[in-house]
Amino acid sequence: MKKMKTLLIDDNKAFVVLARHLLAGNGQIDIVGEGYDGFDAVRLSEEIRPDLIIMDLAMPGMGGLQAARLIKAQDHPPRIVIASHYDDAAHREFAAQSGADGFINKQDYEHHIGQLLGQFAETAHV
Amino acid sequence: MSESRVLVIDAQAERLPVFGSILHFIDHSPVLVESAEEILLEQHRPQDWLAVIVGDIGDGAHFGRFVEWLKRDRYHPPLLVVASQYDTLLDRYSFDRSACMALDYPVKYPQLHEMLRRASLLRMDQDMRSMRLAGPTGNSQAVRRVRRLVEQVAAFDTTVLITGESGTGKEVVARAVHELSTRRDKPFVAVNCGAIPSELLESELFGHEKGAFTGAITARKGRFEMADGGTLFLDEIGDMSLPMQVKILRALQERTYERVGSNRSVRCDVRVIAATHRNLEDSIIKGSFREDLFYRLNVFPIEMPPLRERLEDLPLLIDDLVAGIERNGHGSIRLGADAVHTLRAYHWPGNVRELSNLIERLAVLHPRATVGTQHLPQRYRAGTVVVTPAEELPEERHDALIASAGLAPSPQASSVAALSQLPPEGVDLKNHIEGIEMALIRQALEQSSGVVAHAAKLLNTRRTTLVEKLRKYGLTRELAMDSEQLSA
Repeated sequence: MKKMKTLLIDDNKAFVVLARHLLAGNGQIDIVGEGYDGFDAVRLSEEIRPDLIIMDLAMPGMGGLQAARLIKAQDHPPRIVIASHYDDAAHREFAAQSGADGFINKQDYEHHIGQLLGQFAETAHV
Repeated sequence: MSESRVLVIDAQAERLPVFGSILHFIDHSPVLVESAEEILLEQHRPQDWLAVIVGDIGDGAHFGRFVEWLKRDRYHPPLLVVASQYDTLLDRYSFDRSACMALDYPVKYPQLHEMLRRASLLRMDQDMRSMRLAGPTGNSQAVRRVRRLVEQVAAFDTTVLITGESGTGKEVVARAVHELSTRRDKPFVAVNCGAIPSELLESELFGHEKGAFTGAITARKGRFEMADGGTLFLDEIGDMSLPMQVKILRALQERTYERVGSNRSVRCDVRVIAATHRNLEDSIIKGSFREDLFYRLNVFPIEMPPLRERLEDLPLLIDDLVAGIERNGHGSIRLGADAVHTLRAYHWPGNVRELSNLIERLAVLHPRATVGTQHLPQRYRAGTVVVTPAEELPEERHDALIASAGLAPSPQASSVAALSQLPPEGVDLKNHIEGIEMALIRQALEQSSGVVAHAAKLLNTRRTTLVEKLRKYGLTRELAMDSEQLSA
């Protein structure tokens, strides 16, 4: 199966390092870049044209939700997954409204990413 | 913007690293200062922080200046004040209690987590509000009709059903109804029924008691309760599950509901405005929407027209969106006349929301510039041809652009944009010249709204010659399609 070109966006650099480590063994993901705020996300998405962006919700300057809206305005936008420490109905609702394709709880990152990729693969075959 | 930075001001320096590590642990970026003096106010906006944690304020004069600066922003971040300082600070700086919360020290992780979670929700709500248009904006007949309907229905407590494609601004209409009603000073609470997982929706709408289900560690108000006295906007009601529809119907008919985990009925005084992008009559036939609920909701229907049916509003909408970006301090952008012209030819499946996202995106990628057609994403330019200096676009994107515009008889013609620049590998001269010729013909046709005689004048050529060339390049078929679309 072709790996998904993936961009990691998080203002917490330590978390990016951890996420790279957690996703290293995932056969579906190929990490092609990383950025540290929403501006990076919009710019890198335009330049690299990834298949998937896993992005923090809260970041300085421009957070994940605004960036998701703006990235979805580009040609052939990637799938976007919002990662947040706060997991409740309202946060999920805001993420869905921004156009994000998925929401994951940062405290169970690796497990949730696996589940979401499974869902994406199913919808891709429909 | 959901912000990760949290400012901590505490003259008791030994506490700063404690706050710092807890904030790091719960995924926030702490900015730690011993005195408000250290914050260079001219380089910040209050919205730069999700919340401000205040311990010992130290020099009162510096903190006073900081508070004065903070209060200039109506929506400044909430203050989490160490409990021992709370009352003093509230009195001394006359803070609104809703903007100030008492924080225990030593810090209790669940308490701080809950306060920051609420601050995060508050910020997301403000962001949504800041990008909302007042309105509906426009001067087209369709929008004038919507405005008239809003004025007619606002004063009565009638249930309103707003229909229209996604992104047409149904919430804008709902807010307009609320603002013109006698409930305007009470809350307007919006809930997107389609975005909340069905198993969570009931407790989100009606609230829950402590222990009602796993995870319900405290009792919580639902949105019906939050909207008491005001307006509850149920967006995407067509996506609601059938069991939930029964509960909503009961709340509408009997004006009472129960919190999850409670059998005590609560009365509610709420005006309900519902909206959906679905055709509910079709959903009734399919069995996915209750007929009785439909008639309850459809007392006063308002249909929001899609943007493609009111393209004359485009310039006004763009002006409004740009003004919003400027007002929020998110930079600025100008659209050249050619770009606006191109956007008028687009079919806008995502409606005003799509336009809003596009304008904001352009402001981020080209801050304070005047953007032309060539800066627009490709889907907006499908019907146009842009001749751009090669250096403005990476080669492969430029190729894609030319190819998608049907401009490339062969790959070599992609160098059309370089005009007189001979690339090191050389060019196919015939294709190159033909590419340029086609681009100019298309632009001339566009400028003359497809009238061949006028386009011929612009190109200083005979009409018959131009017709010949149109046939040669297969452009006659496109012209015929365009005119069909216009007459449809």
